[in-house]
Amino acid sequence: MPIIDVRDLSKTFSVKRKEAGLRGSLKSIIRPEFRRVEAVKGITFSLEPGELLAFIGPNGAGKSTTIKMLTGILYPSSGQAQVLGLTPWRDRRQLAYRIGSVFGQKPQLWYHLPPIDTFNLFAKIYELDDRGFRQRMAFLIESFEIGDWVHTPVRKLSLGQRMRCEIAASLLHRPHVIFLDEPTIGLDVVAKQQIRDTIKTLHEQEGVTIFLTSHDAGDIESLCKRVIIVNHGAILYDDRLSALKRRYLTRKEIDVRFAEALTDGFQLDEVEVLKVGAYGVKLQFDTRDTPVDVVIQRLMADRAVVDINIADPPLEEIIARIYQEPQSS
Amino acid sequence: MSLGRSISKYAAITRINLQNNLAYVGELAYRSIFMVVILYVFVQLWRTTFGVVGSDRIAGLSLSDTIWYLVMTETVMLSKIRFAGKIAEEVRDGSLAYTVGRPYSYLLYHFFYGIGDTLLRLAINFMAGSILVTLLVGPMPATNLPALLVVVMLAIILDFCINGLIGLLAFFTEDVESFVLIYNKALFILGGMMIPLDFFPTWLRDLSLALPFNLAIYAPARLFVQFNGSRWANVVALQMIWIVVFMLLLGLMFRWGMRRVSINGG
Repeated sequence: MPIIDVRDLSKTFSVKRKEAGLRGSLKSIIRPEFRRVEAVKGITFSLEPGELLAFIGPNGAGKSTTIKMLTGILYPSSGQAQVLGLTPWRDRRQLAYRIGSVFGQKPQLWYHLPPIDTFNLFAKIYELDDRGFRQRMAFLIESFEIGDWVHTPVRKLSLGQRMRCEIAASLLHRPHVIFLDEPTIGLDVVAKQQIRDTIKTLHEQEGVTIFLTSHDAGDIESLCKRVIIVNHGAILYDDRLSALKRRYLTRKEIDVRFAEALTDGFQLDEVEVLKVGAYGVKLQFDTRDTPVDVVIQRLMADRAVVDINIADPPLEEIIARIYQEPQSS
Repeated sequence: MSLGRSISKYAAITRINLQNNLAYVGELAYRSIFMVVILYVFVQLWRTTFGVVGSDRIAGLSLSDTIWYLVMTETVMLSKIRFAGKIAEEVRDGSLAYTVGRPYSYLLYHFFYGIGDTLLRLAINFMAGSILVTLLVGPMPATNLPALLVVVMLAIILDFCINGLIGLLAFFTEDVESFVLIYNKALFILGGMMIPLDFFPTWLRDLSLALPFNLAIYAPARLFVQFNGSRWANVVALQMIWIVVFMLLLGLMFRWGMRRVSINGG
């Protein structure tokens, strides 16, 4: 039986439309105009226990709205959803004991207090017994490597340190399903990787079901086996990551800086040159035609390289390519 | 869910927010300064008024009664739980996504979130005001403090409910600042915060006494300066009736609001 089951779920918001300026403000008070925004348009999917799903899409695609409906804090406009056999918006409090959520853009830890104080509070709120709570906390502190920070006031932690404590706080009550809404947003590369490792460990050790939203293609690549891509509130793609990788995550971007100025332009076989600057270039290529190491070897063979940066193309580009391709199996 | 666990749940909420607020030690001092300044102005104002009227008592209250009355109204006014603003803030910054999604009653959560801070403010404001007023106009009126504390707590709860109803409007309109302003002005006048209702013309006094606002400010302050057993019982009964009415409304409005709210961010 699926642990999350979503059928035709939709959410439409009425957003007040306001014209610019004081005049607009007055007008919006006297005769407000509403615009309907369809944030989620009839999505259907299900998740088996123990799955790690990446629910991705550009900003405003409806990812957070979906999470908020599945955690019971938003009522849908239509459709159904079951999480752990409960209807989230109707059984919100019951469900709360069994799910955990992390909203990357919002703090839940008390700002002036060390994370341990919030942990103790949550132990009471989730009605954890003392021994179980101590064990759980010891486990989380060890696996998240946050032992050094749990006694430091949150305001003194870096964003990366704080995020790991934020996630740990949401896991104290041993939730069966974890919703992570943009857990890596705003973090630097190292901190991002740490968060990903943490999530991975958690998933492997406890077999919990994880529902992760992100607009970072790197999050999916390093974490998930299954990917759902949403755009404009609708599901665009739902398949295994390997299939997505094979078909769409085949391109890489390389930013190179050279020791000496480029005097006579730049060219490289089988590589698309996106931008040429005085000292550097930006390239894109297909790893099926030219593996990354081959491109790097060629780059280093010609010139002295000072800096090199390899990245995935932005998610928007991948989505654009999914649209471009004819829908096949 | 056992009662014991429930109590320790909400007690923990009070405790942590109190701890969090103790980080602003400086603000504690500032709060009492505000109280002292306001009362000093009132003392000058009422001294002049009583001088002009040329009588020891106005509507049964002496100068000392009037000033001590104001100590109590200001104490309650400056200490009550800022619930409406808190809800609006949560809707605005989206932290509602966390606070609504936990296994507790959202409304009780906020009551216990605010009450620790409120008790602290009550104590500080009352002490600061009392010291000043004792020096300027004489000692505190003899009164039944435990019974008074009951009325003050009920006043805080009543205000919390009204504040909550205003705050929940944020689920629909996002901004509730103007409604809070109107409510506070109602407390200023109809609640008797600025002037004891006894000084009002009959029609305005009757109107004020018929409305619930006086039970949040005037009633505890009036009992503070002239305690009276039967008046006390009457006030407590009225406070409880209004609290039940507003709680029912609050519960309904919360349910209705949850269906309508859209949470910002992400």
